[in-house]
Amino acid sequence: MRRNPWATLLMTASLWLSGSSFLAAQAPPPYTRTLETYTVPEVVLVNQDGAKVKLKTLLDSGEPVILDFIFGTCTTICPVLSAGYANLQTKLAATPSKVHLVSVSIDPENDTPKVMRDYLKRYRAKPGWDFLTGRREDIDKVMNAFNAYIPNKMSHYPLTLIRDPKTGKWIRIFGMMSSSEFVAECRKAGVL
Amino acid sequence: MSGWRAIPLLSRCLAGAFGFLLLAAPAVAAPPGKPKPAGTVAGLPEDKALALGERMYRQGLLPSGEPMPSVVNNDVPVAGTAFSCSSCHLRAGLGSWEGGIVTLPTNGARLAIPRYWKFPNLSPEERRELKLQNPAARPAYTDETLAHLLRTGRDPSGYDMHSVMPRYHLSDPDMAILIHYLRNLSARPSPGVVGDTLRFATVIAPGVSEDDQQAMLVPLNNYVARHNQFSAGFGNRMYLGVGGNEMSGAYRKLALSVWRLAGPPETWPGQLDAFLAKEPAFALLGGIAPGEWKPIHDFCERAKLPCLFPITDLPAVSDTDWYTQYFSKGYYQEGQAAARYLHGLDDPNPTRKVLQLVQDSPEGKALAQGFRETWAELGRAAVPETLLPEGKPLALAALEDLLAREKPSTVLLWTGASAFPALAALTQGATGAFLSARLLGSQLTSLPEPVRSQVWITYPYREPKLEAKYSLYADTLLGGLTQRHPETRISTRTYALIQILRQALMDMDRHFYRDNLLDRIGMQRDQILPDYLRLSFGPGQRYASKGCFIMQVGPGASPALIRKSEWVIH
Repeated sequence: MRRNPWATLLMTASLWLSGSSFLAAQAPPPYTRTLETYTVPEVVLVNQDGAKVKLKTLLDSGEPVILDFIFGTCTTICPVLSAGYANLQTKLAATPSKVHLVSVSIDPENDTPKVMRDYLKRYRAKPGWDFLTGRREDIDKVMNAFNAYIPNKMSHYPLTLIRDPKTGKWIRIFGMMSSSEFVAECRKAGVL
Repeated sequence: MSGWRAIPLLSRCLAGAFGFLLLAAPAVAAPPGKPKPAGTVAGLPEDKALALGERMYRQGLLPSGEPMPSVVNNDVPVAGTAFSCSSCHLRAGLGSWEGGIVTLPTNGARLAIPRYWKFPNLSPEERRELKLQNPAARPAYTDETLAHLLRTGRDPSGYDMHSVMPRYHLSDPDMAILIHYLRNLSARPSPGVVGDTLRFATVIAPGVSEDDQQAMLVPLNNYVARHNQFSAGFGNRMYLGVGGNEMSGAYRKLALSVWRLAGPPETWPGQLDAFLAKEPAFALLGGIAPGEWKPIHDFCERAKLPCLFPITDLPAVSDTDWYTQYFSKGYYQEGQAAARYLHGLDDPNPTRKVLQLVQDSPEGKALAQGFRETWAELGRAAVPETLLPEGKPLALAALEDLLAREKPSTVLLWTGASAFPALAALTQGATGAFLSARLLGSQLTSLPEPVRSQVWITYPYREPKLEAKYSLYADTLLGGLTQRHPETRISTRTYALIQILRQALMDMDRHFYRDNLLDRIGMQRDQILPDYLRLSFGPGQRYASKGCFIMQVGPGASPALIRKSEWVIH
């Protein structure tokens, strides 16, 4: 039978859309975890206090580090990732471990130090959580270095990267974690 | 296979059917809503409950003033002040789609009807009319099932929402207040939706030349005429890529009124009120005024009327106002860029002595304010400012006294070309001067050659040598109906407005709420259009271009601009 190509397109679009909506209501898929080796680029970024930060020095310091990519006016993913950071900081307060939390902006045009300061304040961030922004070219380099490049901030995805302080390798977690899962992953990585 | 065959047949007849429905029965777009009897909510008058509910929805604060407690991702506690309902569902409540996660609508109109996976935008009446038989994914919410959803994440069909949706621990009275707000949120189409037409207006203030008016009006009217030439069926098919198809029923004809203001700015609010009462508009498109946009900005805030990309370089600068979406902060942003650039040069030894010489005009003051506020935000000490009479040559003797007294290493000279004769005195020794490209306009390239190496220019646009291809593209789509007037950038900015509006109308679908129009622009991807290097968006972001270049004027009688900085944004 011959199928009207226009109608086929319509059906494809509607099925695709209903599939997308399906995502919204299904239980989330389990996050994926891989072990990766990344080379941190030699870029200078700016933190929430306006101070220049050499990213390589910060991330390769040998201290436990966790990294994610967010932006200040993100609607869905970043607030949840940041709630995870805030909750981890609360839990860390009871441990001697010093984990450095780093969020890199993927909207450098808008994320000025002031915007980043206000954002961290909303999450009641404590010292040890830095929000970094910079030149778009440098932000692109960072995203590429961590296999996290997205051309448009609205299509970003939940990614958490935990640096194993012993091996220097990165545990790449794709997806959303509960609080207990986050703590378990940190322990597994040896940062707690 | 029967389903595959049924749809093409159905779709073929729908264009005509919708044409009838949209024209004859505008009520199909109106949600059935759930009329609330007059009375009280949780013991409060309804309007009071509505205000408290709005605060819960937008700011995550309980009626008590405490943060709304919730849990995301099964066990992550979140205070409502970190992020609220509107962070994801957005201000109008129609939801968002970001990072692979769809946030469903939570507005009154959609909560009051069943949800369907297929063609979710059709009303129950339309479904009956079209004899659609597919079952509902969930029934309409009652107050009880909505409260259950908000507490547990489970909808009345037993579906569990994604764990990123906070589960709110609310008392019964607080829950009643939030539900009262949601029932009223985007429950009825906004004013300006009349039958099958979306009515827009554009504002022209007194003192705008006929050429400048036409540079904006011709492309706007051309766009409206081209949009309106489609049938409803074809128009709906144009919306295919955003959840639409010819069943979306989202296409509307457009109408554009011109609201011409007269007299002094303090009389404009009254005139605008009268225009709006006579011709309710869904939003203002563009608009043009020779001076400050603030009177129109304030009117839009008060009337809750979106205003998209007015042609102004003197916008109101605010972190919190909602209803006017600008291209940039204009002159203010150039002052801001000067502060950021100089601070970047100074790090880590901020010993620079800066002096601001400011033309006594809205433009000069906006430049100075942008520098002053950003300089302070960067932690730098206030710098001396001197106001200069507008349009008069600088008094050299007084200027030399000032320079001898202040001994600045950098002078910010926020004046037009009238300052050129003073530049030799100003740039003696190692002193550098900053000027504004906007304020100098075409005089920029007349900068005296001997001082060019010590003068820096704040330049808010794309590099001129890279601009041609973007402007040519705009010319093509402006249809040759107007001159481009490169210096004013009015027609190219209007072109950019049209591109963003076209996308926003498609993304808005048939949810004709003013806040939704702004929400959809906030969710747009970055745009590469004429004039500005990049236009970027985000919920609540109201100035799309956010940086400037720092330039110098090259040698010769027809000098090139030489870029001296990256795009200055921090």
